Amino acid sequence: MPRLMDMGLDKLNGMLLEMANLSENAVAASIEAYGKGGKGTEVREWSRRLQTLHHQVSDLSMELIARFQPVASDLRFIKACFEISYGFYRFGRYALDIVEVLDIFGDLSKCDHKAVVETARNTQEMIRMSVDAFARRDVALARRIPKLDDAVDDSYRQNLRSVLDQKKDTRCTLSASLILRYLERISDHATYIGESVDYIVTGVEPSH
Amino acid sequence: MLSGQLEIAHGIYTRDEALRNVSAGPKVEVRQLSAFYGKKQALYDIDLAIESNQVTAMIGPSGCGKSTLIRCLNRMHELVTDASVRGQVLLDGSNIYGESLDPVDVRRRIGMVFQKPNPFPNMSITDNVVAGLKLNGVRDRGRLEEAARRSLQRVYLWDEVKDELKRSGASLSGGQQQRLCIARALAIEPEVILMDEPCSALDPTATAKIEELITELKAQYTVVIVTHNMQQASRVADYTAFMYLGKLIEYDQTTTIFERPKEQLTERYITGKFG
Repeated sequence: MPRLMDMGLDKLNGMLLEMANLSENAVAASIEAYGKGGKGTEVREWSRRLQTLHHQVSDLSMELIARFQPVASDLRFIKACFEISYGFYRFGRYALDIVEVLDIFGDLSKCDHKAVVETARNTQEMIRMSVDAFARRDVALARRIPKLDDAVDDSYRQNLRSVLDQKKDTRCTLSASLILRYLERISDHATYIGESVDYIVTGVEPSH
Repeated sequence: MLSGQLEIAHGIYTRDEALRNVSAGPKVEVRQLSAFYGKKQALYDIDLAIESNQVTAMIGPSGCGKSTLIRCLNRMHELVTDASVRGQVLLDGSNIYGESLDPVDVRRRIGMVFQKPNPFPNMSITDNVVAGLKLNGVRDRGRLEEAARRSLQRVYLWDEVKDELKRSGASLSGGQQQRLCIARALAIEPEVILMDEPCSALDPTATAKIEELITELKAQYTVVIVTHNMQQASRVADYTAFMYLGKLIEYDQTTTIFERPKEQLTERYITGKFG
């Protein structure tokens, strides 16, 4: 017989899967807009929807705690929902930040896109891994996410140093720096989502 | 989520007091304890170390043996016809089932509070509190009154009843009656207090008062509580034991039991996925 709390937990899970899908699409669309010169119009709507869902996840989590006093794996899942929901919401927010960089900097078609595109490939892989790890409660997959984070961090730092090279086009280096910074933050949140999946399944808290 | 710092957060103790109250080791050790009702076995080879000056909760479904276990801790189990016990229960290292310890003295050192408040109906509030002392031969009126006042103050009942101490104990509300029974248990200066579902007949306000009291009592006593209410165990207990079909399935710090239990059976029971 299903427990009363299961309806709420299923709803939470569904909301997080919707957030996972939206946030993955938002980041992909923002990077495509950078590479192909688009506007990324839909990213704004998705980002707003992610913010709304994030608040709804928080409200429902609090309600489940107040009404059912969850323990053990139920409690760990709800606690992790706060972190995971925040992570997906931030994915959407950084995707919006990337689109706003494109608005402010204008045409970037003549810039070298290589660093951003390569870094975005890693970041999107991290997002996909964090989403799959959450959907399948796959601890082994969650634990592989941080390995990609180092490459994203290196790319971000390398680009920052290149900003100091006065011979390069400021518009290109600055826009790339900002976008790489957002990708670096997205990667960190993907790592945190992976840690939350680990916590749900094993009860082991992240060390930070 | 469960930080294990509620003792400090409650504001009952300062941090120094809380640290001072950290257990100095087991007060009661249960070793290979089995209990029987006639030929029917109710407990199977229980091993358990109950920490001094801590609250230990026993949880588990009806019939799992938790009440039988605490009745074995002060030799009340053997008062049931045909009941018997095998194994040891050590109180400060001495086996309470050994020949050197008198069962009456064991029950004085290990007091008990029951599910239903059971004040003696024909006795006044004061006489209820000091009934155990009188049975132990104390006759001095001044000493009895002082013991009654001190015990009633300790359970926060004094201010509510001090002007009508001659009233019948049975005339008090349910929550007051249960605190009266706790005062009666405290009056004989026990070292361990066993509580068998002490709040199951009480409303939420009275329950909250008993829970606050339990948390305070552990500064001076070792407390063992049987409860069906898992939220109550998580609120008041430092350690929690989960029992099933007469066996001890898991025993650990309450924070661990309720956040990351090691046994699947514990997980299923506390999350309500049982059966």
